[in-house]
Amino acid sequence: MKVDTASERSLLIATDLTRAYRGGKGVFDIRLRLAAGEVVGVMGPNGSGKSTLLRLLATAASPTSGQVSWFGTTNVRDPSVRRRLGVMLDQAAHFDQMTGYQNAWFFAHQFGLSDGLARERLDELFSWSGLSEARDQLVGEYSLGMKRRLNLVEALVHRPSILLLDEPTLALDYRGELDLIERLQLLSLTGTAVVMATNDVHLAERLCDSILFLHQGRIIREGHVPELLTELAGSKEVQLQVNSPVALEGLRSLAAVEAANVEGDTVHIILARGANPAQVLAVLNGTADLVSNMRVRRPNLGDLFLKLTGVALPVAHR
Amino acid sequence: MMLAGTIWQRELVEFAQRRLALVIKLAFPLLVAIPLVLGNAPSIYAAMALTMLIAIVGAIGAGAVLSRERQSGLTLRYRTLPVTPGRLLIERLSTSAVIDFIQITPVLVLIALWHPSAFAWWPAMLLTTAAVLLIGNLMGAVASSFSQSPGEVMLYVVIPLLPLLYLSGIFTPLSQPALLVVSRLLPFSYLHEALLGALTGQPTLPPWETLLAGLGFLVGAAGLTGCLGRRVFESD
Repeated sequence: MKVDTASERSLLIATDLTRAYRGGKGVFDIRLRLAAGEVVGVMGPNGSGKSTLLRLLATAASPTSGQVSWFGTTNVRDPSVRRRLGVMLDQAAHFDQMTGYQNAWFFAHQFGLSDGLARERLDELFSWSGLSEARDQLVGEYSLGMKRRLNLVEALVHRPSILLLDEPTLALDYRGELDLIERLQLLSLTGTAVVMATNDVHLAERLCDSILFLHQGRIIREGHVPELLTELAGSKEVQLQVNSPVALEGLRSLAAVEAANVEGDTVHIILARGANPAQVLAVLNGTADLVSNMRVRRPNLGDLFLKLTGVALPVAHR
Repeated sequence: MMLAGTIWQRELVEFAQRRLALVIKLAFPLLVAIPLVLGNAPSIYAAMALTMLIAIVGAIGAGAVLSRERQSGLTLRYRTLPVTPGRLLIERLSTSAVIDFIQITPVLVLIALWHPSAFAWWPAMLLTTAAVLLIGNLMGAVASSFSQSPGEVMLYVVIPLLPLLYLSGIFTPLSQPALLVVSRLLPFSYLHEALLGALTGQPTLPPWETLLAGLGFLVGAAGLTGCLGRRVFESD
């Protein structure tokens, strides 16, 4: 079969990919094309299908319909496909009765590395990840952050062509996150493609070339990061810390308000281009002690998601 | 530090590192076998108890471990390895069966030392033990694929195991021809025969026939293990 030039360049192509679970959850009709060196972020609230999509792309789950082509083949069992994938799933699963180094050694050999090469790369990656001192400690004694870093080591050790990372910065400290961004930028420059599920808007804006917004299992918006951020140009995000519940309907009825959502005691409001935050306060007039704090800032990808769906992305935890 | 690059090496390394579990695993069958063998219990009862012991040792070990791995997310990670599920299951279960065999070996040695005259039954006893351990491991592995916890695995394994042991004629000698035919289709009946012979009881089959049956079940179980890899590792 003749393939077009774009297909030839794409390392991964997902076509109408669907995985339906009982209760209506899953992912539906996903289309994705991943070129060498491209970094794609998948963003969406909990339960939106991010992890399911990553599992499908990582060959850890089978689609109900549609297909994925990796490096030109759709054969999920082809060992040469899996050898070129580096996967970090949402669960930091390891053999807890073995040390970090033993775990990493096992996975390195599963992906075909020789003893010498495995030793050399693991030494470098353990040092990079800050796990050198804990390499001979049982993984069962590791913290979640250490387990996630070990996952990263195992995903990177065989130098895959595609990295599939589910919440890679989850449980990482700030230093760890910066190291990861730097590493992924370097890998991207050398041709490694990355798909990562994340709700860390700063990570996504710094690292990703393009973003898929997933909501209820479907892509509701996709595009390059600058292009998506342009949609918010001139808008403002207003965060109000309130002392008692606020009627969102009143706020949403304002022409100046594009979206509003409550998270705990904080109201997030996306104001339209040129709108004045004072208009919001005017609506809340008469309840002078209602607002205890107010912050106005430049909106980000999370705010675009809120604008599109009315649902806020969960705060990425460090 | 022991390093493991293959699935079977990893199983052995992890097992060897759990020293307390190792001691308990080795001591437990002996605690059952010593009073039976050294106390000269009637061979029919001793063979019954030891057949049950070997069947349960095989069935529970791998099933419980695989169920825990399913819960922890390790099964998902296996799916991303460049290894076919059939090969993965064969490596896992054969290693697990070998570990179980090591666990049972002191019992077999005890029987051989106490009844040296029944040496003609030793090859059949070894082979049928290996076959029952692998089949037990396979039953546990399949049960783990539809269980939510190690406790459930035990339940799903023991529920079919007990009637199968009954149908194998290990509790009461079977006299009806139809039941006799059924018992000859089950590996437990041959293990029971071999143990009866090795304990100087009165088996109904000759040693060579029991040996051949053990070999057949071992080969069949290995083939079935390869076929069930996807069922065990890729079912959600």
